[in-house]
Amino acid sequence: MNRLDPRVRLVWVARSLLGAGVLGVGAAVVARVFDAPLWAAAGIATAVVLLAVVHAVLRYRVWRYELREDALYLERGVLTQVRTVVPFVRIQHVDSSRSPVERLVGLGSTVVYTAGSRGADVTIPGLTPRGADQLRERLKQLAIAADSEDAV
Amino acid sequence: MKLSTLSVPYRAVRRAVRLVVPIAFAAFSGMTVLPAGVGAIVAGVIVGSVFLLIGGWELAYYRRFDYELTGETLDIRSGVVARRNREIPLRRVQNVDISRNVLERLLGIAAVSFETAGGGETEATLRYVDFEEAKRLQREVARLKRGGSPTDVEEGAEPSGDRADEPEPEELFAVTSRELALLGLLSFDLRVPGLLVLVLTGSVPVLSSFVPDIGLDGQSLGAVLASWGALVVGVLLFSWAAGATVAVLNFYGFRLDRVGDELQYERGLLRRYDGSIPLEKIQTLTVEDTPLKRAAGYATLRIETAGYAAGGGGGREEAATAVPLATRDRVFALANAIEPFGEPAFERPPGRARQRYAFRYLLALGGVTAVLYGLDRWLAGAPSVPAPIAGPVATLAAVPWYAPVALVPVLAAAAHLKWTHRGWWLGPDHAVTRNGVWRRQLKVVPYYRVQTVIDTRTVFQRRRRLATVTIDTAGSLSVLGSDAAAVDVDAGTADRVRSELSDRLRRSVLEYRERRRAERLRALAVDEGPAQEHGEPRAPDAEPADDRSTESDGRRGAEDDGERSVDADGEGALDAVDEDADDAEDDGNDGDDRDGEAATDVAEDGAADRGAGDDGVGSGERSRSHTE
Repeated sequence: MNRLDPRVRLVWVARSLLGAGVLGVGAAVVARVFDAPLWAAAGIATAVVLLAVVHAVLRYRVWRYELREDALYLERGVLTQVRTVVPFVRIQHVDSSRSPVERLVGLGSTVVYTAGSRGADVTIPGLTPRGADQLRERLKQLAIAADSEDAV
Repeated sequence: MKLSTLSVPYRAVRRAVRLVVPIAFAAFSGMTVLPAGVGAIVAGVIVGSVFLLIGGWELAYYRRFDYELTGETLDIRSGVVARRNREIPLRRVQNVDISRNVLERLLGIAAVSFETAGGGETEATLRYVDFEEAKRLQREVARLKRGGSPTDVEEGAEPSGDRADEPEPEELFAVTSRELALLGLLSFDLRVPGLLVLVLTGSVPVLSSFVPDIGLDGQSLGAVLASWGALVVGVLLFSWAAGATVAVLNFYGFRLDRVGDELQYERGLLRRYDGSIPLEKIQTLTVEDTPLKRAAGYATLRIETAGYAAGGGGGREEAATAVPLATRDRVFALANAIEPFGEPAFERPPGRARQRYAFRYLLALGGVTAVLYGLDRWLAGAPSVPAPIAGPVATLAAVPWYAPVALVPVLAAAAHLKWTHRGWWLGPDHAVTRNGVWRRQLKVVPYYRVQTVIDTRTVFQRRRRLATVTIDTAGSLSVLGSDAAAVDVDAGTADRVRSELSDRLRRSVLEYRERRRAERLRALAVDEGPAQEHGEPRAPDAEPADDRSTESDGRRGAEDDGERSVDADGEGALDAVDEDADDAEDDGNDGDDRDGEAATDVAEDGAADRGAGDDGVGSGERSRSHTE
């Protein structure tokens, strides 16, 4: 079972910082309107950030993925554990992507698409850019192999 | 081919009704500032010119709209200002649906929509063509997909051999008036009371007008309950009537035929639908019933294909309905005729799942009791209750706070029922799951249609070592969140089911390929000749690239009104394989071997299987341009 790069925690925390910032500003406005003290807003934002940090740490601990014989297997989720099996035959296409935050930290992700109606797009975050590209290539080859394994 | 000439005035009137009425209203009311006569004239001129503009636009639309059914694609050239050429490969077409409202039926015209697996929206719609032409398109698409040769429609005359190779329709189901009446009676739409309650509670004044005269000054509990009871009965009766009306309107004159390898249905009283469902595109079957239907021994059968965008109206569920109402036995016989899954021997979740439901319900009940108790204490302190909520508060206070405890046995029964209605079964070729008490759904998923398997365990499930295994398919109803799922199975069992499902998928894919290859070899052995007979002039080498660009183009949707972009460069290996697949499959379908070289056949076969195998879901054409 492969684990993610530890730096992925930074990416997740950075993302939640953004959300906490927006929330903080909103709370500050509300506090302003209702004459509540501003530190309450700051408190809410801080609490959110703290929760996010804890969540990111736990999330990193449980995240696993594995290339099995005929399927991609993922294990993730803190409160609700999710285990997904994506058979290689069902892979429609594979992307590797890097968001601004990921670029900043020096990471990338691989996204696997199936035709399914839900859980259709499976993202594996926290890969090195090289790792993301390699995983993409590997999945592509496995998808092709799964397609034509009986051709010879 | 052109649209029906009647479509010009009809479209113009439709648009005018939508557009002119508000404009006229604005114009006439705006012109009241001018002297009476002048204002009316000015307003009339404005409205008239808008109407002329609409008429002109629709005429231009008609003149610039052109469609053609070639042997392999449906080509549509449209657009008054921004032109769009769209080619839809026929074997990617999932459904062809015809819909006609009352007016359209009087005029003899119909709207035809073509569905593909790409995304939720309809791939192309012809508004409007003659009904005869619509039926012809539906027939032709089915026939060409079976590998028939294109007929020369320009010459008008249908070759005599054409009808001959069309299979006889075999009636699978036709709703009788008795069944329709029963369907109306049993169609109790639970969403309606929910909506009504939402509306009623959304505005307290409305609520208090329904439940008048309850003040703190004391009404007897009986009177309070009676007025609430009357309200509830009223809401129930209303929703019953609404559900019945909708059901009868939707399913009047329903019939389901099997024509070769397609199902065809007709339904509707006011708006009439004619649709086709290719058997090979079926993703899941759903047998659904409600307590009422169960008691009467009836059930409903739905069929999901990939990318069914609501079949032109009436909602996804109605569109996917294969049998609106029939006896359970008949529904199961029909379902088995479509997907032979046999008689499922369901396994229930372990008993601790039942405890979980009971616990969950008791928790909710405890919450309600606590709220009532709190209210009681609060009112005992004799505060002044604000006027707007005085009514409801008084009603709640009239109920003794310990009253909910009486519901404990009911909840226990509910938990037990919830538990007994769950089940899952892994058959030889299908996974079958069953869930729901009020809307019990039995879902049949062929292993071959499994997309991904998702195992989820919430905190509460983990406490009791339970897990939910969801089987994702490319079906479209699943978007609404009702996937086939084995809910609350033992955690260890879930692990086993998970790997079992992916294993069986692999085996079924292999089997499918074997079958395809055998069929193909047989076809090759038999027909050097028949392929020549059709004698389609083709330029095989130019074909794949062309095919590719059109497919991804068609999929890109309405925003893209530019030229067909050529992203057919197909650099990546995935693309290359897929192109082979498309090409090889073309050959298979047409019974026309491109080069007839046995050596390449084998390799091609494997590739063809991808195209063919994933046919139900349109084989990776979505956002191809992202792939490297």
